[in-house]
Amino acid sequence: MNNTTTIPGIQKGYYPLKILIIILLLLGLGLFPFISGNRFYISLITEMMIYGLLAMSLDVLLGYTGALSFMHNAYLGISAYVVGLFLIHISPTSLWLACFTGIIFTSLVALPVGWVQVRTGGLAFALLTLAFGMMFHTIVWKWYGVTGGDDGLMGMPNPDISLFGWNLGNTGNPVTIYLFTLIIVTICFFLTRRIINSPFGAVLEAIRENEDRASFVGINVRMYKLLGWMLACILASIAGALFILYKGYIGPSTMSAFAGAGVLMMVLLGGLGSLWGAFVGAAMFIYIQDYISTMSEHWEIYLGLVVIFLVLFLPTGFVGLGEHLKRFRKG
Amino acid sequence: MVELLCTENLCRSFGGVMATNRVCFSVDNQGLTSIIGPNGAGKTTFINIVTGKIGASSGKIFFKGKEITNKPTHELVKMGICRTFQINSIFENLSVFENLRIARQAKDGGSLRIFSSKQSLKTVTEKTWDLVERLGLKDLAARPAKNLAYGDQRVLEVAIAMAGDPEILFLDEPTAGMSPTETRQISKLIKGLANEICVVLVEHDMDLVMSISDRITVLQYGCTIAEGTPEEIRNNEQVREAYLGKEE
Ligand SMILES: Nc1ncnc2c1ncn2[C@@H]1O[C@H](COP(=O)(O)OP(=O)(O)O)[C@@H](O)[C@H]1O
Ligand SMILES: [Mg+2]
Repeated sequence: MNNTTTIPGIQKGYYPLKILIIILLLLGLGLFPFISGNRFYISLITEMMIYGLLAMSLDVLLGYTGALSFMHNAYLGISAYVVGLFLIHISPTSLWLACFTGIIFTSLVALPVGWVQVRTGGLAFALLTLAFGMMFHTIVWKWYGVTGGDDGLMGMPNPDISLFGWNLGNTGNPVTIYLFTLIIVTICFFLTRRIINSPFGAVLEAIRENEDRASFVGINVRMYKLLGWMLACILASIAGALFILYKGYIGPSTMSAFAGAGVLMMVLLGGLGSLWGAFVGAAMFIYIQDYISTMSEHWEIYLGLVVIFLVLFLPTGFVGLGEHLKRFRKG
Repeated sequence: MVELLCTENLCRSFGGVMATNRVCFSVDNQGLTSIIGPNGAGKTTFINIVTGKIGASSGKIFFKGKEITNKPTHELVKMGICRTFQINSIFENLSVFENLRIARQAKDGGSLRIFSSKQSLKTVTEKTWDLVERLGLKDLAARPAKNLAYGDQRVLEVAIAMAGDPEILFLDEPTAGMSPTETRQISKLIKGLANEICVVLVEHDMDLVMSISDRITVLQYGCTIAEGTPEEIRNNEQVREAYLGKEE
């Protein structure tokens, strides 16, 4: 306590167990395609990682700034379309430039939307996300000449992934895109964790806790809410770039309100405010979706039941499971 | 000499009701000024206007000779105008330490650092510890604010405002709901503060107001009906009427 540079609640030093688990998990994921070779699972896990990144970006928005977005998938979609259009029409081989364009374009769209949204709050903010999201969905759906409308974006080339002159493989190869996704998502995860634990992250938390008081300690609430919104949209746009490279296709349904609710469910399944919980939630959601849809066309009903069960009996999501069990054992 | 803060004919109406009516108020660099008046007199509304929570309908506010009417709250706080709330407004799920640390960080800057740790803001952490020790909150530092006893939350409410190093501090009924012991504790804190900065206190406890105020302003129906030293206010006919009238 005499040490005036420590902050209570933040332990210093490393936790060997935690680090070991992370290394084993990453190693396991990294080696998986070489051990299994099962194309189906390689694709499934790729999708889980991409949606995990999207869910994590929503967790940043909801869990750290307290802003609810019903259609965060719109920003994945916009980015995916832009990256796809860039590769189709401008340069089929400039992968990095395409991704960069997608992220910048999405940010440019998200900025004015966020500017409007942070001037409202709570439910009005949430409803505006829905309004903007549906607007984007309709534009993509109806603008046949550019987006392909209902048919989606066709004729995506498969660019090579090259870094500093090294060719790391082709995005058409499921194993390559799997590893590429793993690397990018891992980097995004650790960067986001870093940001959340920074002085900037502390400001977001204060705003989430009590917006009014935050402004009365001298925080420009609107500006920081907008920055939090931009962070969430940029992460979603990175997920969008990965999505189109992995699928080689995107259709308007990816940007629908239904898909938006799905992303929200992923976050709630995993539990708010932990970042990694979003990945667990996304993995569970996609697995359930995939597993049940092989047995019944109406997989949404079963998913709905799972979500209702979780909301009623495990409102803190998967992340809160440990706490729940502890309390249960104590009686 | 220019006053630290003054208002000129400050008005604010809510649907025709003048909650603040042509209030001219001024305070100097330090000392304790109390604002008293019956419930609904417009005391909180006055603080709300001056601290930027709500806009003024008309009139002007000056801080160190510069006009600050209708400036956004966060800018006023940065200039040194802080406040507490009549009803606790704290960061409930954050630790006591973090409640104060974030206020300090907002004052000192560094909030745009996105890739460094909170600990990297060393002076912020050190100054927060200073404040924690000064207020005797050391044992509670790691606790979530919502788990504190009401009296301690009330102290935290004041502490958060103090963490921003204000030049003028508005305290809206800081002793509301406190026991006599806790009231004595917090009045000691307020007296100490008034030796360093300008404190404006809204308070119902007359004994407390009379004993610690340097000057007192009395509001009724949004208007200033009296202004002066505790002695002058005690003997003011109009003030007596206002208070006696209420007791009937
Ligand atoms: N946001 C508001 N909307 C409408 N009327 C309000 C609002 N805030 C305060 N008032 C009215 O203004 C008057 C003064 O209230 P207030 O400043 O809270 O009094 P005090 O703090 O002196 O008890 C009251 O009549 C109250 O009903
Ligand atoms: Mg009041």
